[in-house]
Amino acid sequence: MTGAPLPEPAASPTATDAGVRSTQRAPRPRWRETLGLLARNPTAAIAAAVLVLLVLMAVFDETVAPDGPNEISVDDRLQAPSWAHPFGTDDLGRDILSRVVLGAGVSLRVGFLAVAFALVVGALVGLLAGFYGRWVDDVLMRFMDVLFAFPAVLLAIAVLAVRGPGAGNTALAIGIVYVPVFARVTRASVLGVREEVYVRASRSVGASDWRLLTRHVLPNAAPPIIVQTSISLAFAVLAEAALSFLGLGTQPPNPSWGLMLAEGRGFIDIAWWLAFFPGMAIFLTVLCFNLLGDGLRDVLDPRQRTLMAGGGR
Amino acid sequence: MSSVFLDKGSAPGQGRRDVLVSARGLEVHFPVRSGGPLRRTTGALRAVDGVDLDVYRGETLGLVGESGCGKSTLGNALLRLVPPTGGTVTFDGLDVTAMGRRQLRDLRRRAGMVFQDPFASLDPRRTVAQTVSEPLEVHRLHPGRQARAARVRELLELVGLDPAVASRYPHEFSGGQRQRVGIARALAGEPDFLVCDEAIASLDVSIQAQVLNLLRRLQRQLGLTLLFISHDLSAVRHVSDRIAVMYLGRVVEVGPATAVAAEPQMPYTRALLSAVPLPHPALERSRQRIVLRGDVPSPARVPSGCRFRTRCPDVFEPCPDVDPALQAVGSAPGHVAACHLHGVVGTPVRREDPAAPAGAGDPAR
Amino acid sequence: MTAPLLEVEDLRVRLRTPRGPAAVVNGLSYTVGRGETVAVVGESGSGKSVSVLALLGLLPERVATVTGSARLDGEDLLTMSPERLRQVRGPGVGMVFQDPMTSLNPVLTVGRQLVEGIRAHGEVSKAAARERAAGLLAEVGLPDPQGALDRYPHELSGGMRQRVVIAIALANSPALLIADEATTALDVTVQAQILDLVESLQADHGTGVIWITHDLGVVAGIADRVLVMYGGRCVEDGTVDDVLERPAHPYTRGLLGALPDLAGDGGDLATIPGTPPAPTDLPGGCVFWPRCPVRGDARCETEQPPLQVVGAGLSKGLPHRAATWCTEGSAR
Repeated sequence: MTGAPLPEPAASPTATDAGVRSTQRAPRPRWRETLGLLARNPTAAIAAAVLVLLVLMAVFDETVAPDGPNEISVDDRLQAPSWAHPFGTDDLGRDILSRVVLGAGVSLRVGFLAVAFALVVGALVGLLAGFYGRWVDDVLMRFMDVLFAFPAVLLAIAVLAVRGPGAGNTALAIGIVYVPVFARVTRASVLGVREEVYVRASRSVGASDWRLLTRHVLPNAAPPIIVQTSISLAFAVLAEAALSFLGLGTQPPNPSWGLMLAEGRGFIDIAWWLAFFPGMAIFLTVLCFNLLGDGLRDVLDPRQRTLMAGGGR
Repeated sequence: MSSVFLDKGSAPGQGRRDVLVSARGLEVHFPVRSGGPLRRTTGALRAVDGVDLDVYRGETLGLVGESGCGKSTLGNALLRLVPPTGGTVTFDGLDVTAMGRRQLRDLRRRAGMVFQDPFASLDPRRTVAQTVSEPLEVHRLHPGRQARAARVRELLELVGLDPAVASRYPHEFSGGQRQRVGIARALAGEPDFLVCDEAIASLDVSIQAQVLNLLRRLQRQLGLTLLFISHDLSAVRHVSDRIAVMYLGRVVEVGPATAVAAEPQMPYTRALLSAVPLPHPALERSRQRIVLRGDVPSPARVPSGCRFRTRCPDVFEPCPDVDPALQAVGSAPGHVAACHLHGVVGTPVRREDPAAPAGAGDPAR
Repeated sequence: MTAPLLEVEDLRVRLRTPRGPAAVVNGLSYTVGRGETVAVVGESGSGKSVSVLALLGLLPERVATVTGSARLDGEDLLTMSPERLRQVRGPGVGMVFQDPMTSLNPVLTVGRQLVEGIRAHGEVSKAAARERAAGLLAEVGLPDPQGALDRYPHELSGGMRQRVVIAIALANSPALLIADEATTALDVTVQAQILDLVESLQADHGTGVIWITHDLGVVAGIADRVLVMYGGRCVEDGTVDDVLERPAHPYTRGLLGALPDLAGDGGDLATIPGTPPAPTDLPGGCVFWPRCPVRGDARCETEQPPLQVVGAGLSKGLPHRAATWCTEGSAR
């Protein structure tokens, strides 16, 4: 076309028409609004609700679970799902529903711990690298690249081999794997925010670097990091399951979904429920974290936000 | 040469005046790097290239020039928001380029800045009160929540906003209102010096007038010294006591506003003035515009001698060979221009080193 | 005058926005003759840009409702099929926007974009089109037009880019040129070059021009007639001399009073208090009354003033009209 592609009616920085000004300068996300908008995104809202239930279940596992997780009952071995044992029982006669409920605590705790570690370390690295740039950026990010270049499972196995298995070490291992992911996301976001005029304006009144970082850069760089957190939680739960499946994570007799999956594998042709229910639990949790992450991405992105608020889908 | 003159520079009808901010041979060069992994420095972008300028206490100095002339970089360099690569800046007698941390922090309180885009210069996640009180917190002024809140209310009233808006967020305001918030922030530390960097450029015409009036009122009321940076000559003419014209990294003409606007002495200033559109059709039809040839050269490749010579309608033989220094011109006292038409004064170009900032050494002598 | 080139009648544009429906343009009627320049003046939100985007079907259909009529050479642009509209846009109407980069494709050379434009609307050989492209660039005052054909947009300065956009807009000698804040982002000396250029091209080709701007100085230099927009309505129109020298509407007077003068009297500028209304929330009655310095009549707040003749129309017998209840003080 000779003419012009459709210009945004009010995209100009100077005095121009802005019949649709509000769509150009969408209010930046804030908590109340974010929650309100999230509620209007049904998929994400349902995912969030399921996750809240899961967490509540994990917190009150002793009360929720019908039986103890390790109560062996030889008479009830390999029972199919029934009213007494809705998810059936395993080869030692342990109630699978109870073990899934208690496994939620183990799986989610490892997931949260791992992501918390990755978030704190990774975001700090990304923040410093993005904000200071130059050699700080070069040194930190090359180190992250090296970390990133290791195959994730191998890295986790190495950590566990050195420190020994167990929930805490599993979380640490998974956390280390995810540090570079958070570092990169944070750095990219900080690079954008760092150049904002309001950061310069704040510097011009004498604000210290610490103040700039904590009051201006981090809050404005947060949305992608929040999204990454939700998605990483899904991967962390999966990773815990994988490591436990390999025998490196949670140790028996403690129930963890991955471990239960591994234990149920041998019985898959005679007692499918041993592997099916922990598998479903993993599936549901991962799906919900991913859906929530996608929902947050939409809600926290000012452009997406306007579309949704405008109801123009 | 220029130093001799600038030291004697005085406002019309007054004796020697008190200099608040002063630049001598000020340079801000940005390295131009080659692509590739080595990032070798291949040249310099001379955004500010040997500027001599005095800002007198209590005056409004207008700084005009076209985009890319370095006016905004100059404003930032005076406050060391951009580090100068050469020359000196003094603020109230103190050497800004040599300041330590504490002195620099004190400078940040005593010198404020108002930015161009009121949409970008306010943190969208912070309320008006948080934004305006930031300098108070940083410099521990009006300690205590109550005292700070009171001061914020006072500042908002000062810039013509309802103090009740303190708890609102920037996106709830129009451009003009946001700019008032930005001005309130800049004034919070009770500065002596305010740099307004294209502070009205993003505003509607009717709002521009409101902000211009506000700045003038504040200047008088608070005894501020104002550096008003703008590409809008009419606005600069309106608010300024003196006007400085910049071209390609150098101040090429300075003088009392009336003199610069009515009797410009440098061909570039004349062209600039003649290009300003005036809202009078008859006048516009009869006006002779000086239409300049071509474009402003890149600041990475500054012409030798007079940097305006490639577009100057009056170019003659000394122009490529002598870098003109500011010299007294016209009839008004304190009116100076860097132009050979008023006598060939300046530093001869050294052929072997064309990048040398000619004239920068002068003030040191 | 014979039949005008463009005849816009009762143009209305509604936009769906997150804050509810916005009445961005509310009954705009004007004409543009051949070789005539009509300046549309207004501030943010006055609807001046949207009103021309609507003419060319450039508003997203999802959010915009456009009614009224806009006849270009007798053919209504608003009811045209999209294909026909595309045909008309090139040879019939050229457009120049504020930011040349929005109209130029950054990955294609200037020559390629010009040649494409020329060939899209006529059977021309590649070589001939290239020849013509170089000619156009020379016409808009680009130094070394042949060399410029092989440059990419980012290799040119802002002023040069805007010239290229003008060259593209003029590639098919359109009968109508629409410039939306075309010189706002440019320096005054470059702006002077562009204004000169448009005036001379217009003299050569008899192009009708709609020049949208907020800068009354530019208007004084380039326009034959002026249309002042506020709150999506035309509040005043007339010849450039009538409107700028004898403004009748309090808003126009306010705008002119708010301009600093190069002569500089040093006093405070006249200001219009408050801010322009949001198109989602237009006041009833006269759109300007909440900011009007002279409102006295209760009628201002309830009844919308019609656009009526206020002066004899001192030049060319064209009427000078304003939509206001208070006409006292206007030149007679």
